[in-house]
Amino acid sequence: MNEILSQEKSIYIQIREMIENDILREILLEEERVPSTNELARAYSINPATAAKGVNLLVDEGILYKKRGIGMFVATGAKAKIMEKRKQNFYDDYVKRLVAEARSLGITKEELITMIAAEGVSEQVAG
Amino acid sequence: MSSIKASQIVKTYGKKEVLHGIDLELESGKIYGLIGRNGAGKTTLLSILSAQNPATSGTVTVGNEPVWENPAALEHICFSRELNQMVGNTANSMKVKEYLKIASLFLPHWDREMEQKLIREFQLDTKKRISRLSKGMLSMVTIVVALASKAEFTILDEPVAGLDVVARETFYRLLMEEFTESGRTFVISTHIIEEAANVFEEVILLDEGNILLKENTEELLERAWYVSGREDEVDRATAGYTQHHAERLGRSKGVTILTEPGEAFVTNCDVTIQKVSLQKLFVALCGEEGEKNDGER
Repeated sequence: MNEILSQEKSIYIQIREMIENDILREILLEEERVPSTNELARAYSINPATAAKGVNLLVDEGILYKKRGIGMFVATGAKAKIMEKRKQNFYDDYVKRLVAEARSLGITKEELITMIAAEGVSEQVAG
Repeated sequence: MSSIKASQIVKTYGKKEVLHGIDLELESGKIYGLIGRNGAGKTTLLSILSAQNPATSGTVTVGNEPVWENPAALEHICFSRELNQMVGNTANSMKVKEYLKIASLFLPHWDREMEQKLIREFQLDTKKRISRLSKGMLSMVTIVVALASKAEFTILDEPVAGLDVVARETFYRLLMEEFTESGRTFVISTHIIEEAANVFEEVILLDEGNILLKENTEELLERAWYVSGREDEVDRATAGYTQHHAERLGRSKGVTILTEPGEAFVTNCDVTIQKVSLQKLFVALCGEEGEKNDGER
């Protein structure tokens, strides 16, 4: 949770993504307590209502869960869930934009595929 | 305490009307940001809410009790005014500790421990005379009064004016610590909008004596868009919306628009759509008149 907040996106979305990133990188482990909304509010000087909005999105997705009177915890299987979600978003977030930009630059399909192959992506994914 | 309610507040100074019938409700447990240009009426409004200045007409109530000359209601309100080196035409020779002492006598919930803690945080020399303080130090004193007052409704008028960036961050941290622990209501006016935007749950935009809008900050920013591109494409994309603060450079044009709450901005026109910061939105709304775009989409 040491990222810097930017202006580009809504703050609650950034809070959600920060927690997700920390789970993916195993900075936050499954069944471990995550910072409370008040702790997040103090750490980032943001309104606790905004922090709560981000955290609650993750609760709705089953990535975090609430233990009454104790706090918010990372659910078992949270990491796999986030990876699955991001894979589904990968097409919309990256592929579509990549293709749109390629099209406006007149890069052909073959050229694009060659470029991706040259990046050694397939090996990295396999490895 | 439920809320502070102002209804139909009008204020005139001589022949000039500075507030034109303000209706405003401030709920308990929120941080409000009051923004507006110089002379918009911010300080006048805040001083009327805290009964330090009589309204020409209209009423202010706290939990249905009128605030005017009502100690029972005023006990819950602290308005920490901007402090000056001068009192009228003479230097304010009062020492900081004397000023804080007087404040503590008027504010029944004064927290002396917090006062001392804040003095240490800001490294304030309380033996100094107010006339000898820098602009930043004057602001620190007003912050100490506001936070140590422990008043349920605490109003700060430009608390960060003159503070350096480190002191400003200290202020926001102290504010969040106090807010998350106490749930007190804070109303903060500021000209340094960008860094405060994330702190405000709701923003109140005062423009020339009228409330232009009062809205959840996050929700407001979610419906604000900056649309730019070739002028005809931008006009086509934003047809039906009011174009705020159009900026032109050659064939290109950029405008700020507000969609309805919950409404996304979608277009098939060849334009760039960007999110708008609160500061940018403020300039777009208060900087100049918007023009309604009646074109066909």
